[in-house]
Amino acid sequence: MRIKAAAAVAVAGVSALLLSACGVGGGGGGSATASGNFADCPANVNTCNAVPADQLQRGGTITFAIEKNIPNWNVVSADGNVFETGMATQAYLPAAFKTQPDLKLALNTDLMVSADLVNPTTIVYKIKPEAVWSDGTPISAQDFIYAWKMQSPARCPDCSTAGNGGWELVQNVTASDGGKTATMTLSKPFTDWQNYFSSGQPLYPAHIAAQHGDLNTPQGVAASFDWFGKNPPTYSGGPYVVERWQDNQALTLAPNPRWYGATKPTLDKLIMRVITDATQEPIALQNNEVQVIYPQPQVDIVQQLQQIPNVSQQQQLGLTWEHYDLNLRNPALQDKALRQAMFTAVNRQDIIAKTVGQFNPEVGPLNSLMFLPQQEGYTDNIAQTGLGSGDVERAKKILTDAGYTGVGQALVAPGGKPVPAMRIRYTVGNAIRQNESELFAGYMRQLGINVTVEPTDDLGTTLTAGDYDIMVFAWVQSPAPFANAQQTFLSTSGNNFGQYKNPATDKLLTEAASSVDKAAATAKLNEADRIILGDAYVLPLYQKPVLLATQNGVANVRSNASLNGPMYNAGEWGLRTGG
Amino acid sequence: MLIYAVRRIVVSIPILLVSSFVVFWLGTLSGNPLTPLILRNPPPPPHVLAAEADRLHLNEPLVPRYLSWLGGVLRGDFGPSVIATQDIGAELGARFWVTMRLIIVAMVIALVLAVLVGVYTAVRQYSKADYTATFLGFLFLAMPSFWLAILLKQGGIDFNTIVGDQVIYTIGASSVPAPPGFLARVVDIAGHLVLPTIALALISYAAWSRFTRASMLETLNSDYVRLARAKGLSRRTVMFRHALRTALIPLTTVTALDVATILGGAVITERVFQWRGLGDFLIESIRQFDTYAVTSWLLVSAAIVIAFNLVADLLYGVLDPRIRYA
Repeated sequence: MRIKAAAAVAVAGVSALLLSACGVGGGGGGSATASGNFADCPANVNTCNAVPADQLQRGGTITFAIEKNIPNWNVVSADGNVFETGMATQAYLPAAFKTQPDLKLALNTDLMVSADLVNPTTIVYKIKPEAVWSDGTPISAQDFIYAWKMQSPARCPDCSTAGNGGWELVQNVTASDGGKTATMTLSKPFTDWQNYFSSGQPLYPAHIAAQHGDLNTPQGVAASFDWFGKNPPTYSGGPYVVERWQDNQALTLAPNPRWYGATKPTLDKLIMRVITDATQEPIALQNNEVQVIYPQPQVDIVQQLQQIPNVSQQQQLGLTWEHYDLNLRNPALQDKALRQAMFTAVNRQDIIAKTVGQFNPEVGPLNSLMFLPQQEGYTDNIAQTGLGSGDVERAKKILTDAGYTGVGQALVAPGGKPVPAMRIRYTVGNAIRQNESELFAGYMRQLGINVTVEPTDDLGTTLTAGDYDIMVFAWVQSPAPFANAQQTFLSTSGNNFGQYKNPATDKLLTEAASSVDKAAATAKLNEADRIILGDAYVLPLYQKPVLLATQNGVANVRSNASLNGPMYNAGEWGLRTGG
Repeated sequence: MLIYAVRRIVVSIPILLVSSFVVFWLGTLSGNPLTPLILRNPPPPPHVLAAEADRLHLNEPLVPRYLSWLGGVLRGDFGPSVIATQDIGAELGARFWVTMRLIIVAMVIALVLAVLVGVYTAVRQYSKADYTATFLGFLFLAMPSFWLAILLKQGGIDFNTIVGDQVIYTIGASSVPAPPGFLARVVDIAGHLVLPTIALALISYAAWSRFTRASMLETLNSDYVRLARAKGLSRRTVMFRHALRTALIPLTTVTALDVATILGGAVITERVFQWRGLGDFLIESIRQFDTYAVTSWLLVSAAIVIAFNLVADLLYGVLDPRIRYA
């Protein structure tokens, strides 16, 4: 009896704990990818959840969870070119162009009167007269000149830049019109010219840089470059100024009293709070310790958010895309027919349904290596190849036609040599990629190819060393497709890990990146895309979704799946009246 | 006693050196710190990668690298971090007190609870209270600390809902911005401290209460306690002056030995509750293949364990005069 009574007490206690864990009740309603305030985001990606500033509450605080510390304040440096720094800079660094939620670059009309390509190699930037830094110094051509110097390999060889392409083409930047016009000349055309001085490569104050190094010498530029990296900003050319930085804890932003932009911040404070464990973010949101979260989507997190009352969530497909890469160092994989058969047997729709499709039914196969569906020029270059269709019979026929034997049993190459066992590798701990690897091995079994699944805890080294036959990973693109394509597929590029070499595509990629005619450049990139896909070197899978969730009282926050993140319009964030 | 303590410290130095070398070696094998840079798209220029490899001494052989790091540690320099702006020594110093606050409060709560419950359940053996405490003890022992922390968080949110105010917090050691006024800040810090200390304390409490109960039962059944009772001493005197004092000696040993386990528990607790202590530092350092940071962490945590064991040695003297005079 005594035991029973004691057990009953204990069970009651545990049950109460369990119930408290599950019984959060409520629910946001709406679809799986956009609910509540974000319901119109799929249709109006740039304007959803919008409330005019004059209809917002005056004052208040919004806390936004970020998943990593800010290790370096110079976003154009290799150390600082990380997502968290990229988002923070949106609040206080000016840029000529800003990546919008639709992943297109748009002129920043708060800062710029215009930015025009006046001839194939000359760009003229006209800065608004009222644009000033927070200490009252005008934002001027000097800031453009400084940005060029710090990113030019010739002007500052010791600046450890993130390596954003195109700066090696810049010959000069000059000032005119009392410092309010900057003119940049290039050695040859650069198709992605709007990427210069864009929100991924913003302006730093030259007058403060000059206090930390002689800007007429490479050493002086490097010294100022490092100073900007090490020191939290005391300057601002954006809607907010940094009020306080608590390392590893939080960045507190307050409105910039000298903000010259059209929309004045309505909040008293905007706080970016570091929460390094994504699974804790929904709980903090539920407890109102944060009001905006932007975690990597997972089934559990999405479902958890749906259970929290008064919370809206939005998923968006962005600039990161998952893919299978083949290693052409492997002699067996040097045969195009084998590669084509392997990728034809892969069923992309099936992979999506068994991975990201579980929390986002809108994810579909990505059909281009060069462009994303949001970008002009996106064309389905895969349908004609049959790659990723999961058509095993077609794959078998490719092999049989090429002279392979043992198809579906133990595959033997036309020369009589058995096709060796291969390894597909993925990042350890990544359950989705493990699934993708196991599914790949399953498809290959149907062809008679033995593929073993093997994790790696060091993706970078494994890729550069070529210690794989098949690799599944993702690329994070910038909004500059022409530069991206060169970095990923040019024979000489360090990122061309699988050693794909093709003079025809090299020519097309190079011409596309330095074209005066964007339509012609787009056509060339698509032509290169068809060649590379035809060669079955990389199989794109899908765009990875990003996930945003906010308390319903928060207005003007929306997803932006670029390096800017939702902070791209930080100055407009506010609280709904009575929210 | 003092000689014994000094001898313990001296003996621990070679153990510390060997273990730090092993961790350093494993750290260098575990991954390339340049991975995040290599995988950037666009990638940094080759000269940037080369400069970073140079800064982190990645091209040097293992043993000279380790010896150079060790020499630096003696001068207070814990080596370059993969985060160029991070000073490992300063970071460990700042985080040390965050973790110690968590550990010490949790240990005090766990010890007080364990002694109270252990003594009570020993005295009232096979009572309802004993069965309940036994069940809960085993439950907390079996429960993964991560899961327990999540349950506590949900309980905290429910509590806030019931009282209609933000009293209990689920992330951080304090609010940002901190509330104005001294009293408000104390309440705020207490509100942040509640859940992580309970989460950490419950795991240790479970083991220690079982230990205290067993030790107390053994002492209560010993000849000298029976003699004390037979001599007509009061129950209170027998319990607290004779039995409890003796029963606490093995608990002191277990508590000191458990410090390493609590530090391990703090790694998870700090992660779940987002405290920027030593545990959080370790996880972030491992994630970034930051060899120097991980090895430095080991040195600090080993020093903490050694320090607690020394405290336990000194406590033996307090609890048992025979050791004091030995």
